[in-house]
Amino acid sequence: MSAKGDILIIDDDPDFCEVVKTTLEAASFSVRTAGDGLTGLSMMREKKPDLVFLDVIMVSPTEGCYVSDEISDDPELCNVPVVMVTSVTDSKYIGLFPTDRPLHVDLFLDKPVPLGKFVELANRFVRQKQPPA
Amino acid sequence: MRDWLPFEAELIARIDWLIRLRWLAVVGTAVTIIAGALVFPGSLALVPLLSVTALIGLYNLQFSLYLRTLKIGPAGAVRLRHTTLFAYVQIILDLLALAALIHFAGGVENPMAIFFVFHVIIASILLQRPVSYLVAGLASLLFAAIGGLEYAQVIPHHPLPMVGREVYREGLYLATSTTVLTVTLFLVAYLATSITGRLRKRDQELLESMQVSRANSEELQKLNEQLSRVDEERTRFMVLVTHELRAPVSTIYSCLELALSGYASPEKAREVLARAQNRATEMLGFITDLLSLTRIREQAVQREQVPVTHLESVLQEVVELMKIEAERKDVFLGVECAPDLAPVRALPDQIKLLWTNLLSNAIKYTDPCGIVQVSLTQDAGQLIGTVRDTGIGIAAEDIPRVFDEFYRASNARLVSPHGTGVGLSIVRRIVEKWEGKVWVESESGLGTKFTFVLPRADV
Repeated sequence: MSAKGDILIIDDDPDFCEVVKTTLEAASFSVRTAGDGLTGLSMMREKKPDLVFLDVIMVSPTEGCYVSDEISDDPELCNVPVVMVTSVTDSKYIGLFPTDRPLHVDLFLDKPVPLGKFVELANRFVRQKQPPA
Repeated sequence: MRDWLPFEAELIARIDWLIRLRWLAVVGTAVTIIAGALVFPGSLALVPLLSVTALIGLYNLQFSLYLRTLKIGPAGAVRLRHTTLFAYVQIILDLLALAALIHFAGGVENPMAIFFVFHVIIASILLQRPVSYLVAGLASLLFAAIGGLEYAQVIPHHPLPMVGREVYREGLYLATSTTVLTVTLFLVAYLATSITGRLRKRDQELLESMQVSRANSEELQKLNEQLSRVDEERTRFMVLVTHELRAPVSTIYSCLELALSGYASPEKAREVLARAQNRATEMLGFITDLLSLTRIREQAVQREQVPVTHLESVLQEVVELMKIEAERKDVFLGVECAPDLAPVRALPDQIKLLWTNLLSNAIKYTDPCGIVQVSLTQDAGQLIGTVRDTGIGIAAEDIPRVFDEFYRASNARLVSPHGTGVGLSIVRRIVEKWEGKVWVESESGLGTKFTFVLPRADV
């Protein structure tokens, strides 16, 4: 059975990557994972994914924001939907998000995210991108 | 006016007021003399009276000019001396001028003698208490001198036209009026100096209480700033702790959800459960570290009650435990202790935690076939412990922050993604608690050397 779509997870927590990967693979998506922003970007340039799940705080607190900027600046990648996933809800970190320009983010999710939500979002964004003929 | 002595500023302000008052007196006197001359033509010693009045006007002009130079001159003790002298000169000249006016207008018969009261009051306002009595004495003397000299006809008497009987020749009247004036002047001096003295005292108290309250408010502000720094630190700590705890809990939650959901095969479910268990174990370790950190922070121990601890015996204990992990990783763990080491004053549990954190870090971040070398020596005042490894090292930009709570160097994350960043802050807290120092030297990719010193308990 061919995969419904190609999904990239960028998160420095390998356990989280593994769990989401297993879930989405069970729902017939092809899933790749990257442990940091730069690896994620190079994987995207290698093969453009249909959807990216992106962690905000990795090695640096704004690594996710940097990745999202890079995606929007790249003409090849700028139409890839991005879902930001983070466990940061504290107002202390709100200041870290740039407010002077729009972030290339389609949706924010707060960890822990019910696994069904990943499948639902993957289905929605991949279908939007590739409407059935 | 800010640099002026308080008394100096006050004195200058009052002299200014006195000079203005004197202009009023000059005008008032001139008008009275002219009115008197018009009502009783030819009966007043017009020329001497107007001359004295003009003289007062003249010296008042001089005074106002001099005051202006005083005001712009440099503040300080020298100017205060000049200003005080200036006040004396004015009071004496005023006394003499009034005495002259009285002499040329009826002598002891002139009721204006009572105006000496003003000089006494002015002296008590401007200068110190004894000066007021001196002025009262001098005024009484002047009055007595006028009366006496006119009585003895040493100086001429200038009668007042409205006084019918010439009383200046009556000895009893002279004695009585001089006594009454003297008593009045001394009483006024007493009353005026009492009131001004009390006011000055109150001013001084007010000034002192203002200084005290200013000092208090500065102290309060300092304490307040300290408190808000502590509060900020505590909030930062709480935010970091909750973040560090929330991330693994949400991952454990997701692992459990996956295992229960049916998305995963039974084998996969087992694998994610094992991952969840690992994360839970790590979390327990983290919480234990947090507790240690808090305990070191909070534990208040009287220095005399602290036992002496031998660093080398605790080290041997820790090395026995760490050997297993070092052998498993194929890392050589070497220990070198100088002979006859002095003890340190510190809680043995904390020393154990110190060695454990330094050694486990060194082993964790050293690749197989690497070396971890521990050494313990002493000098005249302190014990010196070092833990050197041939591990991944620390990047120069990370070195200033490695002892910060929850800080993890970027390369440390690659080796062990779930470390907590608490170990080295525990190390620093323990060493600082026992009045020692800890520092790190490292080169990325080549290795790291941690050194700590603790004061000897025997010196």
